[in-house]
Amino acid sequence: MTPATAPLGRARLSAGRWNLALGTIAALVAAYVIMDLGAGGEGQAQFINALTIGAIYALIALGYTMVYGIIELINFAHGDVFMVGSFVSWWLLTTIGFSGAITDPLLLGVILAVGFVFSMGVMGVVGMIIERFAYRPLRNAPRLAPLITAIGVSFILQNVIQVGVSNSIVTTPQIIPNTTLNIGPVSIRAINLFIIVLAVVLMAALQLFIGRTRLGRAMRSTAIDRDAAQLMGVDINTTIALTFFIGSGLAGAAGVVQGLYFGVTVFTLGFYAGLFAFTAAVLGGIGNTTGAALGGFVIGFIQVIAAVYGYGVWSEVVVFTALVLVLVFRPTGILGQQLGERA
Amino acid sequence: MKYARMGAALAAIAMVATACSSSSSPSSAASAAASAAASGGGGGAVVNVKIGIELPMSGGEAPNGVPTANGVALALDQIKVPGFNVTINQQDDAVNGVHNPQQGAKNIQTLANDPTVLFVVGPFNSNVAQAEIPVGNAAGLMQCSPANTYPGLTKTWGGVDPKTLRPTNPDKIAYVRVATTDDLQGAAGADIAYNIAKAKTAYVADDTQTYGKGLADVFATDFAKLGGTVVKRDSIPGSTTDFTSYVTTLKSLNPGYVYYGGVTTSGIGLFRLQMAQQGLQTIPFGGGDGISDGSAATKSSFLQIAGTAGDQNTYSTVAATHDIPNASAFADAYKAKFSTAPGAYSAAGYACAQVFLQALQAVGSGVTDLKTLREDVRAYVADPSHSYDTQLGKFSFDANGDTTQHIISYYGFDATTQDWKFLQQRDFTAKPLF
Amino acid sequence: MTGRRGTGPATGGTAPGVRGRLSRALSPATAFSGRHQSLTTVVTFAVIGIILPVIVLFPPFSGFGTQNDWVGGFADAGIFVLLAIGLNVVVGWAGLLDLGYAAFFAIGSYTYAYGASPFTGVHIPFWAMLPVGAFVAAAFGILLGAPTLRLRGDYLAIVTLGFGEIVPAVFLNASTLTNGTNGIVGLDQPSLGRLFGVGDFGFTNPWPYFATILAIIAVAFMLLSRLENSRLGRAWVAIREDELAAASMGINTVTTKLLAFAIGASTAGLAGVYSAAKLSIVSPDQFNFTVSFTVLAMVVLGGMGNIWGVAAGAFLVFELQSQGLKQLNTFIGSLGLPSFQLGPITVDLATINFLNYQYLLYGLALVLMMLLRPEGLFPSRRRRRELHESPDEAERGNVELSEAEAVEP
Repeated sequence: MTPATAPLGRARLSAGRWNLALGTIAALVAAYVIMDLGAGGEGQAQFINALTIGAIYALIALGYTMVYGIIELINFAHGDVFMVGSFVSWWLLTTIGFSGAITDPLLLGVILAVGFVFSMGVMGVVGMIIERFAYRPLRNAPRLAPLITAIGVSFILQNVIQVGVSNSIVTTPQIIPNTTLNIGPVSIRAINLFIIVLAVVLMAALQLFIGRTRLGRAMRSTAIDRDAAQLMGVDINTTIALTFFIGSGLAGAAGVVQGLYFGVTVFTLGFYAGLFAFTAAVLGGIGNTTGAALGGFVIGFIQVIAAVYGYGVWSEVVVFTALVLVLVFRPTGILGQQLGERA
Repeated sequence: MKYARMGAALAAIAMVATACSSSSSPSSAASAAASAAASGGGGGAVVNVKIGIELPMSGGEAPNGVPTANGVALALDQIKVPGFNVTINQQDDAVNGVHNPQQGAKNIQTLANDPTVLFVVGPFNSNVAQAEIPVGNAAGLMQCSPANTYPGLTKTWGGVDPKTLRPTNPDKIAYVRVATTDDLQGAAGADIAYNIAKAKTAYVADDTQTYGKGLADVFATDFAKLGGTVVKRDSIPGSTTDFTSYVTTLKSLNPGYVYYGGVTTSGIGLFRLQMAQQGLQTIPFGGGDGISDGSAATKSSFLQIAGTAGDQNTYSTVAATHDIPNASAFADAYKAKFSTAPGAYSAAGYACAQVFLQALQAVGSGVTDLKTLREDVRAYVADPSHSYDTQLGKFSFDANGDTTQHIISYYGFDATTQDWKFLQQRDFTAKPLF
Repeated sequence: MTGRRGTGPATGGTAPGVRGRLSRALSPATAFSGRHQSLTTVVTFAVIGIILPVIVLFPPFSGFGTQNDWVGGFADAGIFVLLAIGLNVVVGWAGLLDLGYAAFFAIGSYTYAYGASPFTGVHIPFWAMLPVGAFVAAAFGILLGAPTLRLRGDYLAIVTLGFGEIVPAVFLNASTLTNGTNGIVGLDQPSLGRLFGVGDFGFTNPWPYFATILAIIAVAFMLLSRLENSRLGRAWVAIREDELAAASMGINTVTTKLLAFAIGASTAGLAGVYSAAKLSIVSPDQFNFTVSFTVLAMVVLGGMGNIWGVAAGAFLVFELQSQGLKQLNTFIGSLGLPSFQLGPITVDLATINFLNYQYLLYGLALVLMMLLRPEGLFPSRRRRRELHESPDEAERGNVELSEAEAVEP
């Protein structure tokens, strides 16, 4: 096996940091102009819509890319982990007894913190359980075997929620008040601002964790060469379990966000969210956490621009066409490195 | 590992053993029924016959199929036809949780192969119906759909002759439906928008599915014919949860009315909720019977999802008459048997079963041969001169197999009851829109 | 020698040296079995065609439906057998992960809809449309493959997944050309004219369809098994095992991979034509991702790379989905099990609606199957060796390989 993936962190960033930053800014400006031209005076609102949905995709995409980076598995159940996460947060909030907005900022802060910690923790553990029972036994099996169990796990998660909770759309409490904040020339709803800030904070925390901590180093070394890492004293099983915990926890956070932002969840939510998030991960360069975040935003922007111009039904086609074009010209994604060869 | 293997082996053994012991029962029951039918006749012997149910019963489609099938079961409980013992042969056309035309066609074949099945209630989805109508037509097995509203299944629509769906016997009707077609509901929607909400401009969207697109297309045409202007015509995939960008576009267009063709499970309530979140709840909003699915207290209903603010100024239509005398008795009986409120199509399922039972009553006495009986039931229901007294009111089927009841009921949201409130009903046979 | 590289070139006549001598020494035998291989295939399918309809007359199968029900089910199952052996070429032999295989199935179906329906007014006979559908699907396979096949591993997987989503989306949204969500209806039925007294196949008699799909599968089997042992088949294996090494041995990897894609796609095209004709309608939502995933699950469960195993896997999974899980209520009800206590709740199996759980059970079946037999039910010998390798087995394997991989019912 050849060295498989881009290191999950800072090493990659330093080389193209300036290119990346400038490219991102240029792309954002271009996106803003395109939206403003098509949106008839609502360009700014559409821009914020795109950032928000992009942030949600990015949070889910991180889980895909981390799992892929470390064990080269397309974790098809990940979209459904996100879906279950939204139900966990729904359960928590309705059990505590909230149904609408919380106006007391202190109480709101406490409830949000509890909600996120709880959902992320539960989904992290669920992710570890899935890894332990569905993927670990197959670590040396043919590559497609864990892919099939991933599909199986996805079916199981969906059916458990469908039969156990609801077979249709469930309304979730939107505890963040629907107020619009005016910051200088920018007018943004509180929920949008919250989601964008939260996603940025979580992604920054992840980068720091991977780049600066001992466990993060263990994850990077396992991703590069599992055998060598083991020889150097890294506990492979723990490290992989930790990766699943973090990735699934982020999906759990995205699940909470789903409930807060849209006010609904449904057991079939996982497939398309997962599909777009996975596409985001690949678009950005799979195995690369910065790339996954970037890919999430790119897809958010593509979808919103398509809708603005009245081609909403074609958004899926546009997303995948963009993916093919990016891969044709940059076969390993926007920020990806040369991948090893796999069958 | 070891235990898992052992468990699997045990399960396999159990399966084979019990399957052996139970295997002969269905076929022997069938032959018993046949012999009873052959020997019966005047002797007061009860003939065992079946009504087929062909609906999506599993996965995400269970909310569509299960309450409808329950309606059929309730009808069989409450109504008896002397001389016959009617039971159910139930088939599920969902594969991997999604309705599947191939499975539907196979199910109709299975039902046709069961000689005791005389009539089928189903299917639910139009594209499943497209695959089933040719089979039912060839087999001479009458089907009654409680939910199909796509006009092209029975009449020429979009340049397609419905006879192409009946290649074996083009002139033999083996498919009827109790729901009025989309063209009338779309017209009713335009009527509400222009004449009740007094809107001059409208934003029209659909969920890309047969039902939603059909409704929205007719709405857009008729609204323009009435004198209104359609400011934008959008199609939004049914898997969408993020409607914010569409709603923001809508905000900049500031239309007088929003019409959304589709069903609640495609996220229409969510669209309305996101409209309210962007402060657009004052724009009236309308849809077809796909969003008329219960009060704000009903789980997963349009009104519940749209939320308190979003519910304001909403309208819906139902392709049936509003004044049914025993509507609440039906709801009570349903609740007593299944301990939930009836679904949107429970009454339609019930009505389909009534059509069958009334036809059986009319043609059944003295007929002992199941094959003759099946054809007699088909011919009776296909004959436009017969009418039925059902849960949905009194109606008959026209020469195409469409219900002659062209009444659309209009509903608007009422804040005090938190439910749809009946506004008026319009009989499109007596009083067409144009 | 152990591992992938050890067994790889043994199949290859392209590889010079010891192995080359070995395969030359075996070549008369291979040719002999090759000649009879097609005959074996035909006889096998004839036997299957006789045994299957007979076996369902006996318990336990007879309890679940009449013979015609079963044969109708087999005629549908054949579609998936065909899809699975086609996908096996791409995934099992050439090692290219294709997650959007349903796209080619859709293209085959719509090709038939354009060639034989009132929608276009063209009425080309079913039999002529079979090769046309295969050809059109293959053309699209090349169209998709040409820009993307230089992608490796999972990048290719996501592109194919995207293609699988795009194709139905185009059929759905390009409504002036495809009649959109309403689909195209009233497609011509296959007809044998006056031959054998079978006119139009009709909608109630499953037997002509059963015979037809059996014949199509048998032909596909003959062609594909021959390919497997051809120069091309060995090139696929070489690429699957090590693309760089294959390229340095003089294999044109791009053409070889494109051919795998095209041949896999053409098989799906055949399945599409047959399926559209049998159903008499096409609509975009018949071809969603679940079809692609189901076929992939069939290939992996059956045993990737082994054409017979894959076919058996497809057959079993299809029967599980369309018969087994649907009959669970009847089956459990007939057991008459007493209700039991599970903690605070009383469980009465007879009252549980198992239709609600079929997705769960299918998921569990996938997971358990993979955990217990990751190589699939009927693995190719190569795969089995890779997983349970001991040195002497590997040695023996080298010698047996040429015929071992071909026929393994």
